[in-house]
Amino acid sequence: MPRLLGVDIPNEKRIEIALQYIYGVGPAVAKKVLKELAINPGVHAKDLKDDEIANIATYLEKNFPVEGALRRLTMQNVNRLKEIYCYRGLRHRRGLPVRGQRTRSNSRTRKGPRKTVANKKILRK
Amino acid sequence: MSRSITKGPFVHPSLAKKVAAMNKKGVKDPIQTWSRASVILPEFVGHTFNVHNGRTFLKVYVTEDMVGHRLGEFSPTRTFRGHSTKKVEEAAP
Repeated sequence: MPRLLGVDIPNEKRIEIALQYIYGVGPAVAKKVLKELAINPGVHAKDLKDDEIANIATYLEKNFPVEGALRRLTMQNVNRLKEIYCYRGLRHRRGLPVRGQRTRSNSRTRKGPRKTVANKKILRK
Repeated sequence: MSRSITKGPFVHPSLAKKVAAMNKKGVKDPIQTWSRASVILPEFVGHTFNVHNGRTFLKVYVTEDMVGHRLGEFSPTRTFRGHSTKKVEEAAP
């Protein structure tokens, strides 16, 4: 199996799809890369030549923040918000939704698993 | 929809005037303001604003990173900040 940009090992899928296993590469970027390098998007990842793989890796690293670089970028942006004490930063700190969504119900992605408060019903009697 | 670029960032006219006057004189007194919607311009860096949050004025010292945000973002309007961790069941007889 070919290795791309360190950890990523795209499998026996079409290269167009396999590239999307890289963090920071979605359908749009994958298509663009293959178009720029004139590689057939239908080729399976295992059938790629070594130089083609090398070309993809260098092209990606040069033109898009990908994997570690992208993760670092995102972290920096979030930390900036946290440091300047703005509303969005406070929401990040508290682990609550940042973009004004309701928190009375749902928002489980941000809040994590439900923390049920026991005996709430008995209290009300 | 985002704001038209031709208009430029929104800053309350009187606020912009005050900052401009202070920059001319070179003083940096705190400015009391209700204009939470005003965008922080690069000229505001280093100034202190007392931004109203509906009840009191909170001190906001503007740093370089804050440019482009609005004054209101730094003056929270809500007080609730989490439940107490103590269990409630003991309180119920």
